[in-house]
Amino acid sequence: MTTIIVLVILGALVLFAINVYNRIITLENRYQNAWSQIDVQLKRRADLVPNLVETVKGYAAHEKEVFDNVGKARAAMAGAKNIDESAEAANMMSAALGRLFAISEAYPELKANENFRVLQEELSSIENKIAYARQFYNDAVLQFNTTITTVPGTFFAGPMGKTKHVYLEVPEADKEVPAVSFGTASA
Amino acid sequence: MRTSPPAGSRLPDAITDPVTGRKISLLDWKAANLRSSWLLGLLMVVLLGGLGWLIGYAFDPGLATIVLVIAVVVGVGQTLAAYFASDSMVLNVAGARPANEKEHRYLVNVSEAVAIGAGVPAPRVYVIDNPAPNAFATGRDPQHGTIAVTTGLLQLLDRQELEGVVAHEMAHIRNYDIRFMSMLAATVGAIVLLRDVAMRAMYYGGMGRRRSGGGGGRGQIVVIILLLVLLILAPILALALRMAVSRRREYLADATGAYITRNPEGLARALEKLRDYKGAPMKVSDGVAHMFFTNPNVRLNAVGLFATHPPLQDRISRLRRM
Repeated sequence: MTTIIVLVILGALVLFAINVYNRIITLENRYQNAWSQIDVQLKRRADLVPNLVETVKGYAAHEKEVFDNVGKARAAMAGAKNIDESAEAANMMSAALGRLFAISEAYPELKANENFRVLQEELSSIENKIAYARQFYNDAVLQFNTTITTVPGTFFAGPMGKTKHVYLEVPEADKEVPAVSFGTASA
Repeated sequence: MRTSPPAGSRLPDAITDPVTGRKISLLDWKAANLRSSWLLGLLMVVLLGGLGWLIGYAFDPGLATIVLVIAVVVGVGQTLAAYFASDSMVLNVAGARPANEKEHRYLVNVSEAVAIGAGVPAPRVYVIDNPAPNAFATGRDPQHGTIAVTTGLLQLLDRQELEGVVAHEMAHIRNYDIRFMSMLAATVGAIVLLRDVAMRAMYYGGMGRRRSGGGGGRGQIVVIILLLVLLILAPILALALRMAVSRRREYLADATGAYITRNPEGLARALEKLRDYKGAPMKVSDGVAHMFFTNPNVRLNAVGLFATHPPLQDRISRLRRM
């Protein structure tokens, strides 16, 4: 009789452990997938940038600094080896593109260019998708971190070798762009 | 350039249920919908079987089992049809056409962005040529998610407001509201159908026919009275229940939409613009009215037991308090 009770309790414990283990793995997969969502958008953006640069050069060839910044961001993206470096390069690119679109305000002919308009909508919507993807990523990381630091997950995190993951920072560029005062430059 | 608010700002991922006043997690809500869909299916089989049996018994006790089987088969068939075909049907009824990649690039981009934020696959996007601003979502699960918006909505709203509306619709998809609501609609429909068939049969053929052996009698009269009461009450109760569930889901979808975009203000402003819209209403079949973002058939907000949507002003002030 006692053997049966012991076996039942042991069985329940094993099931419980499997459950917690699976939950931790699922949440880890979720934030890793969330990163791939960001990555897809970054790649799409990288593909569009050369086209944009060519179009803008046709109207504003002398804005060398802006093109240099975009070039540097592209190089950083290509050389990124891990999530942190990619994220940093992506933020550089967002800032460089933000400046590029800001100066384009001063060139009415450029703004009237159909190709430019299409690229602008595409790139600003990619920017928007990156923002949403980053939000989803951070949500997923928050869930993962909460699970592995609260009971019962915290008892499993150590043996499983799981540690808290870092959030993606909101890039400075996002706060900067609206403040750029190109309105006075074009006046 | 960015239209969503900073990713750092957080809204609670648990919201207060407007009906019970309890906190519910957005994840629990999805699980609850999936569970309720099964329960509802079960309840429908029992209800239809019971009603069918009563109707059969009232006419002739020998027919009870046959009518029971017919009622269950028809009801389940109707629900399955609704489950698999309701999306293409409602798109047809509303006159929706697939969004053009070029012409509606903006709408497609907004939907894709919001889908990423909601963590669901990008939905299929449809456009309805109608000046009245409105939108709806359909599809039995996120893999079959579909969003349709009117051209009037695209003209009226700015990007943040459109994101709010799309996020509201995405919330219905993510939380399996559509599956639950179409099951519920099919159940109510089957009950109403059964009532109509029974009423017509009562009118033409006599009830309480005695069998050759002289059975039936007293028991049969009790059944007939019970049946009459049920047939009058059941459709009314079912409809009131369906509308209450529908209103509650609108509040929850507003809250989830605000959570997905982290921007309750965008959705609140969109609702304000719809409230102030003075043009002609959209006019769609009553059968699909509950699916829309705001009730497409009324200009004033219907309030009360049979309204499919809560009053707009109430939805706006709830968003503003978040």
